[in-house]
Amino acid sequence: MARLAPTAVLAALSLLPLSAAGAPVKLGFINSMTGPEAPIGENLTNGADLAVEDLKARGIDVVLLKQDDGGKQQNAMSAIEQLATGEEVAVVVGPYTSASSNAVAPLAQQYEVPLLIPAAAKEELTRAGRSYVFRLNAPAHVYAESLLDAVLALGQPKTIAFVYESTDFGTSVSNAGKQLAQKKGLKVVADEAYQKGAPDYRSTLSKIKAQSPDLVFMVSYVADAILLMRQSREVGLKPQAFLGGGAGFDTAQFEAERTISNLVYSVTQWTPDTGWPGAAEFATRYQARFKKKPTYHAACAYAAVLVAGEAAAGAGGDPRKTREALARGSWTGVLGPVKFESFDGFTNQNRHVMPVIQYQDGKAQTVWPAQFAKRKAVYPFPGWK
Amino acid sequence: MILFLQSLLSGVLIGGVYALIGIGLTLIFGVMRVINFAHGELVMLGMYATWVLFVQLGWDPYLSILAVAPLLFVWGALLQVAVVNRALNALPQNQILLTIGLGLVMSNAVMLGFTSDYRILSTSYSSSSFELGGLSVSYPLLMSFLVTAAVTVALSLFLLRTDTGQAIRATAQDRLAAQLMGIDVRRMSVLAFGLGAALAGVAGALVAPTYYIYPQVGGAFTLRAFVIVVLGGMGSVMGAILAGVLIGVTESLAAVYVASGLKELVVYVLFLVVLLVKPSGLLGKSRA
Repeated sequence: MARLAPTAVLAALSLLPLSAAGAPVKLGFINSMTGPEAPIGENLTNGADLAVEDLKARGIDVVLLKQDDGGKQQNAMSAIEQLATGEEVAVVVGPYTSASSNAVAPLAQQYEVPLLIPAAAKEELTRAGRSYVFRLNAPAHVYAESLLDAVLALGQPKTIAFVYESTDFGTSVSNAGKQLAQKKGLKVVADEAYQKGAPDYRSTLSKIKAQSPDLVFMVSYVADAILLMRQSREVGLKPQAFLGGGAGFDTAQFEAERTISNLVYSVTQWTPDTGWPGAAEFATRYQARFKKKPTYHAACAYAAVLVAGEAAAGAGGDPRKTREALARGSWTGVLGPVKFESFDGFTNQNRHVMPVIQYQDGKAQTVWPAQFAKRKAVYPFPGWK
Repeated sequence: MILFLQSLLSGVLIGGVYALIGIGLTLIFGVMRVINFAHGELVMLGMYATWVLFVQLGWDPYLSILAVAPLLFVWGALLQVAVVNRALNALPQNQILLTIGLGLVMSNAVMLGFTSDYRILSTSYSSSSFELGGLSVSYPLLMSFLVTAAVTVALSLFLLRTDTGQAIRATAQDRLAAQLMGIDVRRMSVLAFGLGAALAGVAGALVAPTYYIYPQVGGAFTLRAFVIVVLGGMGSVMGAILAGVLIGVTESLAAVYVASGLKELVVYVLFLVVLLVKPSGLLGKSRA
């Protein structure tokens, strides 16, 4: 009995949280800092950095350990292994893409380190019953639902065509879109998946034009979105509305292409004029600091790191206690109210409302829902100039 | 019917640019028997050169061909003299490894200098088109096709009518015999590589207004160029033209009548079928 005592004491000591008072809480961050999604990834990194500043200003000492997945799943997987087992972080924020998030979620559950997903859309990420996986943003079906609800309130479209990139993000959002469209009485007349990075969509768009759809629903990352709209103009595709499913349709680069972005709708996780606390100030601060307008990804990363940092600090840097703090807590900030709930088959999903914007004269204007709308939507699409 | 003609038209127009890339590669192979796996990276360099000239000096992409072509010619000649020439008598697999290595160095150097952000060239005509008999013709694609046609005609005249051009063809036909005839085959190799690189650069300038520009774009072009060159018959310029247009049309029609996601598959299936039936390619000479 006496021989067990020292071992027992050592064992008990090793179970205590290793972070002594004064040591900064470690937060992990996985992002696409290089690679094709780098332009969007930049927003996430900047948002995260601003959040770390704010946490420190409030007296919460955190250190953000960043890992780059370059847009590739296998890199994201090794990143979380490094963060969870090597650095022993309290919580991981990220990754950006749905594909990487999908690869990383089972590992987070396995290593028992909470994962807070800031911006990935794939439905299944929070439908697998994983207690360690949390998602801040709204999932794929909300993208589709918000866009369709916004447009159905403006007119009587009957047919819809889908064009989407063929990875997890595109297929997830368009699948949700197709199901909802049918439920709302729209007929799906075209369903075209394309390889991400393929530059020529003219044949696909001509095929869609031949069906004369009332609505064209597109899901793409940055470069594809611009090329799709350019080539839509070339082939003369003229539906009642172009619906862009976030991501590429939600960037300053797309907004700047005035001839082709005009009157395109996009669904977004955040705009500066939603009236959520600090939303407008965040946009001004971001613009002043980084000389660019923030996309919704910046706000998502900012809010995610704030939530993760507060939860982790309150739990003394222990991953298991951080998970409980995340599951039970509620916050409010630039992304509105945040509370992770389980409902309708979702686990640890924040019920986030997605505003819909329309590009008018080269500027993104919030047009739906009514409580956030600043301008009236222009419908139907009058044609290309 | 309209849809068929529309896809056929897009296919032919895009095929022209593919053909240009293929011609460059086939020229290099014909003269040096070296398969240049860095060819796509040469196209990528052409795209970046065009982009830099557009952003810094405001040059229209079609006009900057006049600067990009000589620039890439000099670069190609330099690569040949400094690197590839040393490997002309090496094993084919070593030559391939060498060019792959060159490609990696080029794409990563560009990534270092320009970051891997996607760049988009926006000109006033980037999405313009005009109606022609019910079909919508893309302005940038049409311009590319016309420039490609002009370049191909100029190249044919060079190869058929000038002394240097005929010397290049002689070297491609039989290196030893050409040497015995007094042709400086080393110089011909340098010229051929430079010419191939210049053609790749022109192709890059032509597609820059309609593609996205990023350091790794070369890989897809190399693959496509390789398929075109083998399909058309290695060393045959006419074959490369034919194959390029064929691939463009196949891709376009497959996107419409099969599925957008499977259009590459159809291209490769066609490639395999042709190789099974005629292994030396469409216009290639079978080894006697």
